[in-house]
Amino acid sequence: MNKNSFVIQTTNLTKAYGKSGQTKDVVNKVNLAVPQGCIYGFLGPNGAGKSTTMKMLLGLIKPTGGEISILGTPFVSQGKTALNEKSRLTILKQTGSLIESPSYYGHLTGRENLEIICTLKNVPTKEISQVLSIVRMENQQDKKVGHYSLGMKQRLGLASALLGHPKLLLLDEPTNGLDPAGIQEMRELIRSLPENYHMTIMVSSHLLSEIDQMADYVGIINKGQLIFQDSLLRLHTHSKKQLRLRTGNNNRALCVLNENKINCTMDKDFLLFPETSDDETARLISALVQEGISVLRIEEYQKSLEDIFLSLTGKQVSL
Amino acid sequence: MLLACMKSEQLKMRRSNIWIAFLILPIIPAIMGTKNYLNNLAILSSEWSSLWTQETLFYSNFFFAPLIAVCCSYLWRMENQNKNRHMLFTSPVPVRDIFLGKFVSIIKITIAVQLWIYLLYIVSGKLVHLPGFPSMQTFYYTLRGILGGMVIAALQLAFSMVIRSFAVPIVIAIIGSITGLVASNSCYGAYFPYSLMMLGMNANKTEDMLSGNGAVFFISSLFYLTLICLIAILILKRQDVNA
Repeated sequence: MNKNSFVIQTTNLTKAYGKSGQTKDVVNKVNLAVPQGCIYGFLGPNGAGKSTTMKMLLGLIKPTGGEISILGTPFVSQGKTALNEKSRLTILKQTGSLIESPSYYGHLTGRENLEIICTLKNVPTKEISQVLSIVRMENQQDKKVGHYSLGMKQRLGLASALLGHPKLLLLDEPTNGLDPAGIQEMRELIRSLPENYHMTIMVSSHLLSEIDQMADYVGIINKGQLIFQDSLLRLHTHSKKQLRLRTGNNNRALCVLNENKINCTMDKDFLLFPETSDDETARLISALVQEGISVLRIEEYQKSLEDIFLSLTGKQVSL
Repeated sequence: MLLACMKSEQLKMRRSNIWIAFLILPIIPAIMGTKNYLNNLAILSSEWSSLWTQETLFYSNFFFAPLIAVCCSYLWRMENQNKNRHMLFTSPVPVRDIFLGKFVSIIKITIAVQLWIYLLYIVSGKLVHLPGFPSMQTFYYTLRGILGGMVIAALQLAFSMVIRSFAVPIVIAIIGSITGLVASNSCYGAYFPYSLMMLGMNANKTEDMLSGNGAVFFISSLFYLTLICLIAILILKRQDVNA
């Protein structure tokens, strides 16, 4: 892929806290590559460094090392961690964000909150009605935000991120705290954005199922390190179906199958076969039976994404 | 961009009730000052000038700094609540203008309060049947007070920006007022930020405290204003934003 087609690119992005000698890398040499026009799911357990990374991309947190380039503008260049104010503004003009929980002034109405953002972004106030209709909040716009439910606040947060038609949207845990219906709605909304408004979206979550339903690309971060980054499709190839077999004598069975040139591996008490057709299954069973090996269990086994995630992070995810 | 920040601050102040405090609180020192004036007519014989000494005594020594501190704390509390610092610092406006936008709001309030206290001075003078109107000198003191007040406003805005408590910066303002009162009665008054407003207002004095010393007052005020704003902006630029 062409280097320029990455909307976000980081090289060895690092954030360490603590005094010299006793530093802790919260984000450790992360190399993100977010392709244009995709929904990039940024997945990791709580405390893995997702928010810190996203805050660094927005200039809220200053990195202690590495480089960032967003929408073709170098943000943090080598050896110079001080952020350049001019590039910061260039990037922020084209970026919308929703970090952690939504920002709002509770004593003002939804529309008034959006007016403030319009003023700061230098966007005409007529855009307010557009973004309100995208998040379906037209009827609540004149209520004070302090009286909104969390779901409404979250949608207002998304509306304010959408003001000014940003090319890039950074959403940190946008479904946090929402009820199942709200999660579903938010997910559909996010899914529709790249196609309808030509945006690139980076969305973080600690829920694998959520990323699975939203993203095209996935980056998995654990303990500050990026441990996987590729298309969702690629992540799914790790979860191909396998045939699992247990016999009275697995060792002998393995020899027999190898003699018959049937590809298989031993995994604890089971023999594992990569995708096997019905014919092949029949052949391998008859080979074993002919040798007098008793077949105790035969089952189709699919490694779930949770298993993959677990094996990558070594940590149980909350689901 | 500064204009955008100023306008957004204006929008945020909508529907806030903080103006009630600015309307009511200055009435207290005006009443106290007038009462003090009436109780000491034997010593306070210079009519309008004497009344000025009494009203400014309470207002600039004890009321102004805490009052402006409340406003500064209020402005930053809005940003500290509900993760608004995230929104503010991901807006495409220079960090400098975020601080200055708030500072302009505080300056506007400082000017309004100063004019309000001047109006209260005239009203209370008329209520105690003082003849004619005060000399222009007192209005000049009011304008000088605005400059001195801006220094306190900048300092309090910086404190409230760094300290995330509503009350602590107000306590600092009270301590500042007391130490400022002590300093303004020494020869170091013009070098202490909290004294500048009292000196500018010529609080509790009939003869001009700054006569022959005006340049020091103006230079010192401008020096502190610049220094405080620069330091505050530098802190905002350097620090990570935590909402």
